[in-house]
Amino acid sequence: MIEKRKLVSIVSAGNVISEPSALEQYAGDMSFVNKVKPDYVVKPRKTDDIAKLIKLARETSTPLVPVSSGAPHFRGDTVPGVGGAVVVDLSGMKYIIRADRLNRVAMFEPGVTFDELIPAVTREKLRLNMPLLPRKTKSVAASMLEREPVLMPKYHWDIADPLNCVEIIYGSGEMFRTGAAAGPGSLEEQWAAGGAQVEAAGPSSASWYRIIQGSQGTMGIVTWASARCELLPSLEEPFLVGSSQLDRLMELVHWLVRLRIPNECLILNNCNLAAIMAEKWPQDYKAIKESLPTWILFYNLAGYDYLPEERISSQVEDIKDIAQRAGVEPAHTLGGVSAFELLKVVQAASAEPYWKLRAKGACHDTFFISNFQKVGELTDTMSGAADKAGYPVPDMGIYIQPIVQGANFHCEFNLFYDPENARETGRVRALATGTINSLMARGAFFSRPYGEISRTIMNKDAATVMALNKVKMILDPDKIMNPGKLCF
Amino acid sequence: MALKRDFYKGLEDILGPEFVSDDPVITETYANPVRAGLPTGARFEAITLPKNTEEVQAIVRLCNKHKVQYKASSTGWLYSDPAGPNCIKIDLRRMNHIIEINEKSMYAVVEPYVIGAQLQAECMKRGLNCNLTGAGSNCSALPLAAHVNLGHLSQSGSYGERNQLALEWVTGDGEIVRLGSLGSIDEWFCGDGPGPSLRGIIRGNTMPLGGLGVYTKAAQKLYHWPGPATFPMEGVSPKYKPAYIPPGFLVRYFSFKTLDLMIDAVLKIGEAEIATELMCFNAAMMASNLATQNMEEEIEIYNKFKDSVLGPGFMVLIAADSARDFEYKKRVLQLIVDETGGKALEEVEDPENQGGYVWRYFRETGSIKETGRVLAPQAGMVGGGDSFPLMSYFIKSCSKVKAKLIADGSLFDDGTSPFIQSIEHGHTGHGEVLARISIRVKDPRQVQRVINNASNEIAIKEFFGVPQHVWSDTLHDMYGPNASNYHLWLRKIKKTFDPNNASEASTYITAKE
Amino acid sequence: MALKDYRRDMETCRRCSPCKFMPLEKVTGFDRINVCPSISRYDFHSYSAGGRMVMGTALLEKRLDYTDKLLEVIYNCQMCGACDTSCKYSMDMEVFESLDEIRISCVEAGHTNPALDKVIKSLRKQGTMVPGAKIKRGDWAAGLNLKDCSAEKVEVLFHVGCQTSYNKNMWKVARATAKILKKAGVDFGIGGENESCCGGRAYHMGYKQDFLDQSKKNLVLIKKSGAKTLVTGCADGYNTFKVLYDKFGLKGKLEVLHITEYFARLIKEGKLKPKKAVNMTVTYHDPCYLGRQGEPYIHWKGKEVLGDLRTFEPPKLYRRGMYGVYEPPRDVLKSIPGLKIVEMDRIKEYAWCCGAGGGVIESNPEFAMWTANERIDEAGSTGAEAIATACPWCELMLGQSVKSKGSNLAVYDIVELLEKAV
Ligand SMILES: Cc1cc2nc3c(=O)[nH]c(=O)nc-3n(C[C@H](O)[C@H](O)[C@H](O)COP(=O)(O)OP(=O)(O)OC[C@H]3O[C@@H](n4cnc5c(N)ncnc54)[C@H](O)[C@@H]3O)c2cc1C
Ligand code: SF4
Ligand code: SF4
Repeated sequence: MIEKRKLVSIVSAGNVISEPSALEQYAGDMSFVNKVKPDYVVKPRKTDDIAKLIKLARETSTPLVPVSSGAPHFRGDTVPGVGGAVVVDLSGMKYIIRADRLNRVAMFEPGVTFDELIPAVTREKLRLNMPLLPRKTKSVAASMLEREPVLMPKYHWDIADPLNCVEIIYGSGEMFRTGAAAGPGSLEEQWAAGGAQVEAAGPSSASWYRIIQGSQGTMGIVTWASARCELLPSLEEPFLVGSSQLDRLMELVHWLVRLRIPNECLILNNCNLAAIMAEKWPQDYKAIKESLPTWILFYNLAGYDYLPEERISSQVEDIKDIAQRAGVEPAHTLGGVSAFELLKVVQAASAEPYWKLRAKGACHDTFFISNFQKVGELTDTMSGAADKAGYPVPDMGIYIQPIVQGANFHCEFNLFYDPENARETGRVRALATGTINSLMARGAFFSRPYGEISRTIMNKDAATVMALNKVKMILDPDKIMNPGKLCF
Repeated sequence: MALKRDFYKGLEDILGPEFVSDDPVITETYANPVRAGLPTGARFEAITLPKNTEEVQAIVRLCNKHKVQYKASSTGWLYSDPAGPNCIKIDLRRMNHIIEINEKSMYAVVEPYVIGAQLQAECMKRGLNCNLTGAGSNCSALPLAAHVNLGHLSQSGSYGERNQLALEWVTGDGEIVRLGSLGSIDEWFCGDGPGPSLRGIIRGNTMPLGGLGVYTKAAQKLYHWPGPATFPMEGVSPKYKPAYIPPGFLVRYFSFKTLDLMIDAVLKIGEAEIATELMCFNAAMMASNLATQNMEEEIEIYNKFKDSVLGPGFMVLIAADSARDFEYKKRVLQLIVDETGGKALEEVEDPENQGGYVWRYFRETGSIKETGRVLAPQAGMVGGGDSFPLMSYFIKSCSKVKAKLIADGSLFDDGTSPFIQSIEHGHTGHGEVLARISIRVKDPRQVQRVINNASNEIAIKEFFGVPQHVWSDTLHDMYGPNASNYHLWLRKIKKTFDPNNASEASTYITAKE
Repeated sequence: MALKDYRRDMETCRRCSPCKFMPLEKVTGFDRINVCPSISRYDFHSYSAGGRMVMGTALLEKRLDYTDKLLEVIYNCQMCGACDTSCKYSMDMEVFESLDEIRISCVEAGHTNPALDKVIKSLRKQGTMVPGAKIKRGDWAAGLNLKDCSAEKVEVLFHVGCQTSYNKNMWKVARATAKILKKAGVDFGIGGENESCCGGRAYHMGYKQDFLDQSKKNLVLIKKSGAKTLVTGCADGYNTFKVLYDKFGLKGKLEVLHITEYFARLIKEGKLKPKKAVNMTVTYHDPCYLGRQGEPYIHWKGKEVLGDLRTFEPPKLYRRGMYGVYEPPRDVLKSIPGLKIVEMDRIKEYAWCCGAGGGVIESNPEFAMWTANERIDEAGSTGAEAIATACPWCELMLGQSVKSKGSNLAVYDIVELLEKAV
C-alpha cells in the first residue's frame, strides 16, 4: 500500500483524503458496479503533481482512478475496479486557460464544468456544442473524453468532436500534447505565431486524442483540453414537431441534418421532454407528458453576423417543404412546451436536481449508436424488452440524437427507477444487462461500454481487444491506469 | 537481391502465377516514375496483385515469415513510394469494389482501387457527394490511400482523418482488425470503439504511407449533393463544357491587396457557412485549369490573370440547396467581399468558363494539369494543420525562401505561391508552397535539400507545427524532440503492430531502436 | 523520328493513371470506366500506357532489354489510342506515337513477335494482312461491273482494304458500298488486283519499312486513277491514308474520307435519300482509328524550347482526339427512318476497342476475344438489338464475340443498314 506521506509530499496534506466516510463517496456510484473503496483520494492542482503521482504509482504499483466531474457519478467508470486504488480527483483544476474568438476554440482544465465554461466563451461571442443537459457537476473535458453525444449535429463532423487537443500524462509517466498542441513551441509561443490548438489529429501519422477518448481513464490523466467552439448566434428561432410515428420525424431529421440547417436538433419522447421541462413534480410532469405526442423533434435555427433574419426566414421556408413531405408540421409550441423555453433549458447544464433523478431518484441509461435505418427497430426492440422485463414502457425516457452530421444516431433509453425499491432496481438491472445481445443483433453498436456490460460488448471483437491491449502496453505498460475497465 | 524460390512459390500459391511477377519488365514500371531530372528508383523484387483481404493477409504473413518487406499501394500516384531491397509491392488494383453506399446514413464503403471519379459519380446519382483527395479523381477513393486526403471539398466536406468510419486493416504482422462497429456487429457506420478508438493508430493528419500494414476496405462519410445526378458535360476531350450551370451553383475568384485581408475574408466566409469549396488557388492554377491546347495557351491566360489580380486570392464555389439558400449565400458573399476589398477575376464569371470550373473543381480533374505540365522535378513545403491564419503565416514565411531561390535561378517562377486552404468552414486550415526546381539546375536534390532545410527551420523555429511533409526517420527524429517526443510514440506503434518491420516504412517511421 | 526523339514525351509521364480510364469529367458511374484493354486484362501497371512510357525510357537507358517478357507486354496492346486521348486531357505529351516508336524500335532491333512476322510475311508476299488468303483481292466485286481505276480515271477511289477483300463474310459490305455509290451517281472505281494493303496495320505493329513499301504501291495506284478523293470503309485504312500518309508527307492533296463521312455528305447534299424504314434499335461502336485516331495529322516542325515549361518554337498543337470522326457515322444512322440509336457508356473519344487492333487479333486471339466480349456486354446492356460499326476488323471481332457468347445482338456495318434504307 502506498504511503500517505508520499502523497502528501506531492499534493500537500489538505489534498489527500483518507477518512473512510469521505472515501466511501468514491467507492461506488449510481450504476450497478460493485463498490470498491479506494485507499486515498488525492486532489492535485498542477500538471507536475500529476506527473509525480503517476511516477509514484508506477513505483508502488498503485492503481490510479482519474475523476474530473463531481458526484453523482453514473457509469461506474470512476469506481475503482480493484482494491488499493488512489482516486485522482481533478475537479479542483478549474482554470480556463483561453477562449479564442478568431479561431473558435477554448482551452481549460479538467475540473471546469459547463456552467463555468459557458459564461467564459459567451464573453468571446462563442458557444459550446453541449451534451443534453449535463449535470451541474459534469466536467466539460470529461464529457468530451467520453465522446458524449452533442446537440448540434451539423457541427459534429466527427465522433470525436468537439474535442481538439489535450495535454496528458500517460500511464508510462511521460507528458504528451496531442494534435497541433504537441509543438514545436510552448502554448504561448504557438499562440504568438497564430496557432490555436484547433487541429486535433497528429502530430504526423497518429491521432493520439482518439486513443485517449473513450478510454475511461485507462491510458493516462488529462490535464487540460481544448474544445472546438461555434459562433454565438445573433438570432435564434427554435421549433417543435410532434408525431406519434417516429419514422416521420426521422425522415425530417435526416433532411434537416443532411442539409445542415438547424443548430440544435434532437428527438425526445414525451416522457423525457416532460422530465426536462417539469418544474413541479409530479403534477407538471404528468400534465406536460399528457399534452405531448409520443415523439417530439426539437430543432433550432440560427443566424450569425450576416443577414441573420434572411438566413432564418429562408430556412423556415425551405423546412416547410421538407416537413410537408414528411407529413409533419413544425411549431413554436407543442402541448405544454414552448420551443423557446426548451432552447433556454438545453443551452445550459441541468438545473438541480439533475433532470434524470427528478422522477424517481435514480436512472440507468442504456445507450448505443446506430445508423438511420436501424433506429426504429432498435427502439421497438428496447421497448419490447422493457415490457417483457415488467418495466412500464410509457415511463421509459428515450433520447435520439443525430451525430456525426447524420451518419450516426445516438439512441438512449433512460430507465428511471426508485433506488430504494429493490424489486424495481433489480428489474432495471436485469433489463440493462439482458438486452445487450438482442440490441447488438439488430445493429446497436455499444461504442462506449461502461460498467457491467462492457465485458459482454468487448468480447464480441477479439481482434480489437487484442489491438487495444497492445496500445495499452505502449501508453500504460504497468497497467496502473484505472485497471478493471473495458478490456484492461 | 533475388527472392528465394520458396518465397516466390509461396506467393504463386496464394495468388496464382498470373498475379505475381518478378520480371524486370514488370518491376521496372513500379519503380519511381521516370521524370526528367530525377534519378530512377529501385525496383521492387516482385509485384503482387491480390484480389481480396484474405490474399493480402496471406502475403503479409508470408512476408513476415520470410523477412521480406512489402509495400501496398492503391492507385499508385504517390511519388514517394520507395522500394527498398528485399521488398515486394502489393498492388491493390484488383480490389476495386464499392461495397456499400448508404444513402440515408450518408456513408460509402470502398476497396482501394475504386477511384474517386467512380465513387463520386455513384454518390451523385443518390444526391450525395464524397470528399476527394486534392490530387484528383484519378486517385483511390479510399481516403486512407491518400497522403492526407484534403481536397477541394474540404471546406464543407472535411478530410480523411475525420471522414473515416469503420475500416478493415491488415496489420503489419498480418492480423485482420475490423475497427469500430465492423468488428462488433459487422456494420460500417462507426469506426470508433468499443472504448478507445483505433482510428488514432492507423493514421494521423497524415497517413503512414504504406508503413503500417494494408487497409483493405473502409467506410467514409458522405455529404449532400444539390446538383444533378450526372453533370451535363458536353463536347469532346479536352474541351468539355457544361450544357448549363445547375441552378444554385456559382464560382468566383477574388484577390486581395494583402494576405491579412484575404485571411479575414476566408474566415468570414467560413463563419457564414456559405461556401461549398474554398481554395486559395493562385492565378497560375486558375489559368492551368482553363487551358486545353498547350502550355503556350496556358501562359497566355496566366499573364492575363496575373495582371488583373491584386495579390493573394481564392476560388470560392457555392452550391446552394435551394433558390432561397442561393440568394442568401450570394448576398452574404458580396457583403464580405465588399468589406474586405476583394476584386473579382472577370474571366471566371464567363458562363462557359464558370461551368467548366464548377465541374472540374468538383470532379477534381485539374491537379494533373496544374502540376504535370511542368517538367521540372518538384519540391515542396507542405504545412501541417491547425488554424487558417497559422497556415497562412507559415506559407508567407516559406514564400520568402521560394522567392530567394527563384531569384538565384534554383527555382522556376511558376507564380503559384501561396496556396492555402480552409477546412470545415475555416475551423482549420492547411497550406503548401509548391516549388519547381529549374531545369537548368544540375543537382535537383541539392535544391530540394535547401528547401527542406529552410521549411523545417521555419516550421520549428517559428512554431508552425509538424508539417505534413515530415516522413522518414530523419525528419521524425528532427521534429519529435520539438513536439512532445511524438516520434518515440509513433515508433512504438510501428514496433507494436509490425514487430518484424515487414511493412516498408521509409516514408513513415521505422522500428529502429 | 525514332524512339529517342520521344524521350522527353515519355519522361513527362507522371504515373497519374488517367490513361487507364475514360476522361474523368465524363465518368457517370462505377461501371465501365476503363478504356485500356491491356491493363484491364493484365492488371500490372506495365500493361498501361504509363507503364509503357517507363519501359520506353528504360529501353533507351538500357535498363531493360528486348526480352520475351518485354515483347509480350508491348504486343499485348491494341494500339487503340484510348490512353493517348485520356492522358492528353491534362498532359502535353505524345503517348500514342511513343507506343508506335517502341514497337518500331523492337522490329528494328530484330525482336519481333512470330505471329506478327507471319502476317508481315504474307504482306510482303501477297500484299495483304490476311495471311493464307486463297482468294483474290478483287473477287468480291464479281458481277458488279465497277471501274478499274488502275486502268481508267475516276473521281473517287474506293479502297476496299484487306479484311473486306479477303474475308468472304465481309464482301456484303463492299458490295453494298458499291451499290450505294452507284445509286448516288458517284464516279468511282476500285483497284481490284492492283489494290494493295494500305500498310497501316503493319506500321502500328512496328514494321515501319513495310508500311513505307506499301505506301509506295498505293501511291502509284492513286496517281494512276486520277482520283481526288479516296474513300474507304476500313477504319485502319482511313487512319493510314489520312493520318499516316500525311505524317510521312505522302498524302499530297488527296482528300481522304471514310465511307460514312462520304455517305453523310451525300445525304446532306440530297444525293442519297434513305427512305425505307429500318425499325431497329442500334448502338454504335466507334472504331478507334475512325474515332479518336481519325483526327487529322497536325504538321509541326520546330524545337522544344528548353525550359521549365514544355513549350515549343513555334508552339506545338496536339492531336487530343477532339477532331476525330464521331458524328458522320451517327448522322448516317440518324438519317435512316425507323432506326433508333442508343449509346453505350464508352463512346467517341473514349470508346472501348473491339480487340482486333495492334496485331492482337493475330498475336493473342484470346485477348482480342476478351476485349470484344467486354464490348458486346456493354452493347447488350443498352437494350439494342444490333451493334453497328464502321470497320471490317471491328465487325469481324464483334461478330466472333457474339457467336461465342451466344448473344442475340446482330452485328452490322453501317453501310449494310444504309443499304436497307436506300
Ligand atoms: C499532383 C499531386 C497533387 C496532390 N494533391 C494532394 C492533395 O491535395 N491532398 C492530398 O491529400 N494529397 C495530395 N497528393 C498526394 C496524394 O495523396 C496522393 O498522390 C494520392 O492520393 C495517392 O492516392 P493513390 O491511391 O494513388 O496512392 P498510392 O500511391 O497508391 O498510395 C499512397 C501511399 O499510401 C500507401 N497506401 C495506399 N493504399 C494503401 C492501402 N490500401 N493500405 C495501406 N497503405 C496504402 C502507399 O504505400 C503509398 O505510400 C498529391 C499528389 C500529387 C502527385
Ligand atoms: S501516360 Fe499520361 S495519363 Fe498515363 S500515367 Fe503517364 S502521364 Fe498519366
Ligand atoms: S493503345 Fe489501347 S491497349 Fe494500348 S496501352 Fe493504349 S489504351 Fe491500352
